Amino acid sequence: MSLEQQLSALATTVGWPEAPDVAAAVTARLEAEATPPRRARRPRLALVLAVLVAAVLAVLAVSPARTAILDWFGIGGAQIVRVDELPALDPAPGLGILGDVVNLDQARTRAGFPLAQPPDDEPAPDEVRVAPGVRVSYIWRDGDRIRLLVTQFPGSATDPGLLKKMVSNETRIEQLTVDGDPAIWLEGGPHVVYFLGPDGAVRDDRGWLAGNTLLVDRDGVTVRVEGDLPRGDAVDLVRAMSR
Amino acid sequence: MRIHQGIAFRVALVAAGDRGDAEEAVQDGFVKAYRALGRFRDGAPFRPWLLQIVANEARNRRRSAGRRAGLTLRVAAATSGDAAPSPEAAVVSHERRDELLDGLGRLDERDRDVLVHRFLLELGEEETAAALGIRRGTVKSRTSRALERLRAAVGEEVAS
Repeated sequence: MSLEQQLSALATTVGWPEAPDVAAAVTARLEAEATPPRRARRPRLALVLAVLVAAVLAVLAVSPARTAILDWFGIGGAQIVRVDELPALDPAPGLGILGDVVNLDQARTRAGFPLAQPPDDEPAPDEVRVAPGVRVSYIWRDGDRIRLLVTQFPGSATDPGLLKKMVSNETRIEQLTVDGDPAIWLEGGPHVVYFLGPDGAVRDDRGWLAGNTLLVDRDGVTVRVEGDLPRGDAVDLVRAMSR
Repeated sequence: MRIHQGIAFRVALVAAGDRGDAEEAVQDGFVKAYRALGRFRDGAPFRPWLLQIVANEARNRRRSAGRRAGLTLRVAAATSGDAAPSPEAAVVSHERRDELLDGLGRLDERDRDVLVHRFLLELGEEETAAALGIRRGTVKSRTSRALERLRAAVGEEVAS
């Protein structure tokens, strides 16, 4: 056994003191210095388009320097950051960020991680996109609009960083489990999404405005469901995706 | 935040050499990282960037306390029952692990730092470079040099 291997073996038995939980202290300090958030307006579903436009305008007017981070969650390969002001973003990112258009068989062979099938009680996805080793996306369209987006990407609590999501105060964040797997539900308000590459570098920093989102950590693969759908439907959809 | 605080604390502990200072460094580092998150968007990888901030905080604390860098680690007392040792760990005897840690402790600070980050903290080259504030190429060359010196001190392998 080489010296390198012996050192690696040593890593598993070093008596590291337990890390203190600093989350509460850090959050308290950040909240203390954050400016009081303005009263949030809750978007009504019937006004989604108007709200999105307003949100983009509001976001474009905000200086990132004024943004205070209020909370920080992690699940699977995703980081979720709650801020009082969303950063500026390009309002019209293309779907190219999700990778190449392929068929399901190609997605399976090119994914580079165990891929769950599309939900069996939904029509087949209108489009499948794959960024090999990084993510696979199932896309359902309604005319030009994306009705439903299901993305899978590898990552675990110890190896996070494939997706970053910034949410505003308007977004409700709820932690739950789906068939025993840890999950997070994000509802209401615009989100900004950044996809990170396997090395943690931002692959495309344009981001976009996301709808209600369910993130489930299924055995090291994060399943992300996004669309205008209530929580129960999103949960059922993930359950219908065979592993 | 909780997904990063474990590794952040260990990096801080190595850099500060003191548990209390390490904890403060993690707190201050996280607060600074939050404040600077707008800049993170510009393409900097996240975890190396966070570890760099935390490690800087920790080193500053060590310097202002006038402490010398040192290795404060010990091999965990016999398996505590919560986890079986990995197969790799099982084939390296407790004595040999003590010997390795002792050898690491006697290395020059720069050699020790790079081996501790690469092997004991299990960081990649990029994260090691960020935490130590050196270039990635330097991590590579320093790692091989430090391994040579450790090999000279403790030998390649104990006879089984």
